[in-house]
Amino acid sequence: MTSNASLTFNQTVKGITEFIEVAIHSILYVRQIYPADLFIRRKKYDTPVFQSRHPALNEYISGAVKAVGEELGNVNKVVVVIKDKDQVALERFIFSMRNMIEIESYNKDTSVQDAMSSITLSQYFRSFLVKLNMIESQLGLLELHDDASFAIVLELKDDMSPQSFSQDPPPWIPADRQHTTSGASDDAQLHLVRAVDTGIISLSLAVQESEEKLQKMKDLDGELDPKGKGKERAV
Amino acid sequence: MAKPLKPSGSSSSDLFGPDDPELMEILQTAVLSGDEPIERLPIATTVHSTVDTASRKRSRSFSPKLSSSSLPGATQAKDSDSVDDDTAVYGASRFGQFGEYMRRKRAKLQIQNENLDINDDAEGKSRIFQGLSIYINGFTTPSVQDLRQLIVKHGGVFQPYLDKKSLVPFRTHILTCSLTAAKIRDFKHMKVARPEWLVESAAAGTLLPWRDYIFRPGGRVEASQGISTQRPLFELPPLLPKPTAGAAKEAPLVDTSTQDLNVPRTPAGQQDDFVTQQMPPTASTSRLPLEISPSRVLYMTDPATYEEAARIPGYAANKSNPLAERVMANPDWRAAHTSAAPDFIEGFYKNSRLHHLSTWKAELKNLVAQAQEHVEGGEAAVLPPGREPIISASDSIWGHGGEVAADGEEDVSMKGAELVMQTRSKGKGKERAVDPEKVIMHCDFDCFFVSAGLISRPHLRGKPVVVCHSQGAQGGAASTSEIASSSYEARVFGIKNGMSLQQARKLCPGIMTIPYEFETYRQISLQFYTILMRHADDLQAVSVDEALIEVTSSVARRREEYSRLPVSEAAPKDPAQDLADLIRFQVKEATGCEVSIGIAENIQLARIATRRAKPAGTFHLVAADVQKVLEPLDIDDLHGFGYSTRQKAKEKLGATNLGELLKKSKGALCDALGKGTGETLYKAMRGIDERRLESDKPRKSVSCDINYGIRFENNEQAEAFIFQMAEEVSRRLNNVDMRGRSLTLKIMKRDPSAPVEPPKFMGHGICETFNKQTPLSNPQGRATSDNKDIGEHAWRLLKSWNFDPKELRGIGIQIQKLESTSGGDHYDPGQAKLPFQLLDTPTKARKGTAEADITDDHPEALNIDVEPPSQEAVVLVDTAGPINDGSNFRNSPSLDLPSFSQVDKEVFDALPADLRKELELEYQRRSHSPVPPEPSPVVPDARPKILVKGVNVKRITQQLAPNNRTMLSPKKNMLFTKRVGTSGMRTTDAELRKLDIDPEVFALLPIELQREQLITARHLKSGGLLSKRKIIKDGTRQTRSPSFPYRKKPPPQAKHPQPPLLKQQGKEKGERLYFTETDDVQRVIESWVEGFQEYPPNQRDVDYFSKFLVQSVDSADSGMEKTIAVMKWWLVLLRRDWTIWEHETSDVDKAKRLTSEGIGKAWWRAFREVKGKVDVAARKRFGGSLSLK
Repeated sequence: MTSNASLTFNQTVKGITEFIEVAIHSILYVRQIYPADLFIRRKKYDTPVFQSRHPALNEYISGAVKAVGEELGNVNKVVVVIKDKDQVALERFIFSMRNMIEIESYNKDTSVQDAMSSITLSQYFRSFLVKLNMIESQLGLLELHDDASFAIVLELKDDMSPQSFSQDPPPWIPADRQHTTSGASDDAQLHLVRAVDTGIISLSLAVQESEEKLQKMKDLDGELDPKGKGKERAV
Repeated sequence: MAKPLKPSGSSSSDLFGPDDPELMEILQTAVLSGDEPIERLPIATTVHSTVDTASRKRSRSFSPKLSSSSLPGATQAKDSDSVDDDTAVYGASRFGQFGEYMRRKRAKLQIQNENLDINDDAEGKSRIFQGLSIYINGFTTPSVQDLRQLIVKHGGVFQPYLDKKSLVPFRTHILTCSLTAAKIRDFKHMKVARPEWLVESAAAGTLLPWRDYIFRPGGRVEASQGISTQRPLFELPPLLPKPTAGAAKEAPLVDTSTQDLNVPRTPAGQQDDFVTQQMPPTASTSRLPLEISPSRVLYMTDPATYEEAARIPGYAANKSNPLAERVMANPDWRAAHTSAAPDFIEGFYKNSRLHHLSTWKAELKNLVAQAQEHVEGGEAAVLPPGREPIISASDSIWGHGGEVAADGEEDVSMKGAELVMQTRSKGKGKERAVDPEKVIMHCDFDCFFVSAGLISRPHLRGKPVVVCHSQGAQGGAASTSEIASSSYEARVFGIKNGMSLQQARKLCPGIMTIPYEFETYRQISLQFYTILMRHADDLQAVSVDEALIEVTSSVARRREEYSRLPVSEAAPKDPAQDLADLIRFQVKEATGCEVSIGIAENIQLARIATRRAKPAGTFHLVAADVQKVLEPLDIDDLHGFGYSTRQKAKEKLGATNLGELLKKSKGALCDALGKGTGETLYKAMRGIDERRLESDKPRKSVSCDINYGIRFENNEQAEAFIFQMAEEVSRRLNNVDMRGRSLTLKIMKRDPSAPVEPPKFMGHGICETFNKQTPLSNPQGRATSDNKDIGEHAWRLLKSWNFDPKELRGIGIQIQKLESTSGGDHYDPGQAKLPFQLLDTPTKARKGTAEADITDDHPEALNIDVEPPSQEAVVLVDTAGPINDGSNFRNSPSLDLPSFSQVDKEVFDALPADLRKELELEYQRRSHSPVPPEPSPVVPDARPKILVKGVNVKRITQQLAPNNRTMLSPKKNMLFTKRVGTSGMRTTDAELRKLDIDPEVFALLPIELQREQLITARHLKSGGLLSKRKIIKDGTRQTRSPSFPYRKKPPPQAKHPQPPLLKQQGKEKGERLYFTETDDVQRVIESWVEGFQEYPPNQRDVDYFSKFLVQSVDSADSGMEKTIAVMKWWLVLLRRDWTIWEHETSDVDKAKRLTSEGIGKAWWRAFREVKGKVDVAARKRFGGSLSLK
């Protein structure tokens, strides 16, 4: 992952799935889904990141990401849904992917001409993570305490079904519509964190605050300070 | 050995009740019947009284007589001692105590036995059965009672009951004469012997090895039951001289002339030690001499299947060879003597008798064929030149023999002269339908190896001599060396070819062994064949010492001569027999060995006649006698019918005797034995055999099998060995000038149930065999005899099984589908040869006319520099003439059919039916074989040529190629000019031509097809499947070599989303500015907002701007990022000036339109409008709306 040569398809896939895994850990830390002392500080993409130390959690994440990697090609979005205790989606961290070119299987390990180099890509990932770590400034504090949970939702391209359905049991289950981006109301607010065009697969990370969350925040704001905003409160 | 019984061991039978503690105590000290007497004696004195108790309780386990016998007088003491025990034995059984009842019954029986023992005279009593515990099952001769008495009398334990669980450690043997099938199964793992064992042991006064009396299931015991009309299933010849047969051993009596079918009569005393129906020894009646057919029992030292093993007397398939095991444990020895040794194959073949025989046979066949060729070619020489070296060679060694043969008989040379004539007439005569007078002779040496060996060892004549590898005392009594040949004197002892030396030594301890003398055999054999050739019309070499000759014309001539003689002299003479005697005499003179000759009208009968003739005689089986001779025979006496056929006949027809089978209908035979076999048998029994002598049967395969000494430790050794074998095979192929197209690998793998070291020293033992076949070809796809090719193919096959190399016991490589090296040299197999030559001037002239045609039809075509061949092809089809495109031919000597998908269906359908069929077949063939069968020539000279009934295939392939060209409009032709630039396939016309690709057609193909075609063509050019793979990788990974600039396939091209452009009129007229970067767009928007501080924004600008932003969102996520950044900046700008009206949505009245409020509100409205449009675009992708916080 540290060469100046342009990426191959497989490298891109590997890089993206690796990033998604790192990012999921960071999201869980940043959004305080689990207590902060569960996480350990590490360095990845030349930037500090937080990684869960809980083996079961790690296994779940890496398993999910592996399944994502298997589906990659068909995947439109990978969504990390932050839910409250009523299983209502509050925030959706959306990894959106778009395959730019079709590559024959024998060419998957061939450097794609004019594609991004792996060094550049990892710099992009650093920028993703830096912005992700700052996301609280945009989203405000999620004061869910122990009620928060999360889920990983896979949104496939239209008319696609997961390849791994043939496995027994299939790793994926149908998602709750409210958790998905298509279930988002028009009032949901989207914050685009970062996007990158590798020339092979385009990746972007966006955070969507659901209407329910905004409503909740508004209610909270109303109680405390009808005019103030969450982030101002935090200061 | 005197191990005390553990209490835990007492729960041996479910029938027994719980053991009482006092008995336990007794058992601790008790002694078993199988214990050694030395240890027993002192113990017996002390525990004697308790032994009895124990014996009553645990009747089967203990032998009460042991103590009594060792201590005379102890019995009385025991009787008085065991009063209270008697109640345990003789007391009334309680209800429901069946176990107790049985226990008591056993105890009583043992006491009875004991009494029996006592009643007998204790003095000098035999102890030979001591330690034996015997159970008798079924009907026996002598009766159970007698046997019981016998057992007890000689110190054994008689077991009245067979308890499966408890008996195992105690019971040693089961005696029986006949068992039911179920019991045979039950007793499978027990030692089952026949009662003769005990009877004879008792008679001999010593315990004979029970193995010689193993009960063999399947043999009915008619003899013992007094029914002896039927022949038993198994008639086993003697293996061991019976110890009891001290009585008058019959002198070996061999009457060669009268003996029925050459079965050596066995001394009666040796007979039947294996025979299950043996008469009871008590019966003093002399046995009827049984006719033993030697073919039932298989004699070989190293059988490969259990079926075979079962037919070999004394062969314990499951027994490991201890010597071999010991020796194999030594790595040095292993390295030097097994297949792991580097020179193993060489050594193997140097010593392999079978190898020599088969090689010679091949040589002889070749010589015979050569000789016949010369004869048929009408050579005037007295002897075919091919034979001359033989004679001179033999003369030098068999100097006197040759001379004797030459001048000892004037006839010989005359015959030789006549031979040519006869043979020539025979050359024509081969086509003659059926000659009623046909005379076939079967000539066979009598014990060839032995008689050959005896030439130099006259002192051994008349003694039992065998030929085998093992010499003298070497290998000792345990030698497993196989006997290849045995003298008649040795056969008298029952020695058979194929036996191991070990077995032979048992039969005849004084047996003499002589070594193989391959050189001698060869010389004799050549001599033999030379003589036969002088007389024969036709000759089939069966083996070195055996040949079939057709002597019809020789016999006819003799008959003629006889008829010319005065009647008195000629009358009784049989010309055929005379000729045979002459041949016999000549061979004897020349070689010093005896030959037996059978004469008959066909091959089958001749072979049968030879049996009568043996040894050293002739026998003419005339048609009248055929039935008489055949009737007493058995199926497997006929040549071509073996054990399995016999078994089938036995099962399905109930008879194996030809006389009986003769009564069966042809249909019945076919049903039972299969159509082919049945029919052949039906005819054979009637003396009909339509087979011809196979003097010139073409060679079908060349092979190399080694199944001796194969012991690998790892795959490396196995691989090295395979390659060595491949060398051997290759050498043999080259010897016969052949190449093969198919390879079969035969593997013998140790049967999982067989011991690691089989009974035959270094042999293969019982094996599972596996065969696999694969097409064989060199990298060019041709038949090959190259050792590397063969080795690689064979090794790949072996690897595909994934066997443990340690388990391998035999390897055979066989090459089939042979092609002559000289014949197939210039052609590619599977490819025919084009019959036409390159046409130069005529073609050009024609081409001119073709061009003219085109010009008429398509005037536009004149613009094209290069004539499009596909179009021309169409014209050619129209004229239907065999016109060649000279230029194309010059460039493309070899051509290929386009892939089937590329074929123009219309043209294809329009082809003549036969051509179409041919092409279809070709495509079919290709779809079957993974490797493209068209080998591309490595040397440019070797042009693969195709012969398709004189039709120009090139033309066809051109027609079959996609026919786009004819459809081209002139406009499309313009594409040619852009070709190199647009195609992305960097290649030149020259290169394409070299690859037989038409540049024009190529240019018109879509890029994908171009790539595919180019790769295929290059691949074919460089040849081979492996390189195909490499090329693909080459193209993607490796750097290009300068000589192959086109090899690289263009890598996939990245596609970046095209960012929409924000265009703006430049300061100068006509100048247009394009902005894509976020900063630039932000700057534009800033100048826009600042420029319209005093006016509301122009709606056209707003629309234009919103369109750009929406496009940006739609283009990619990074575009959306840009849009958001721009929007945010816009928001900042607006807030800077008009914050107060941000959430003011009310309409502004016209009056205020140009006030700050009006302008601010207009800006905000524009912003909201744009935001709304952008949100819609973003919602499509993510849902919700964009946050600009």
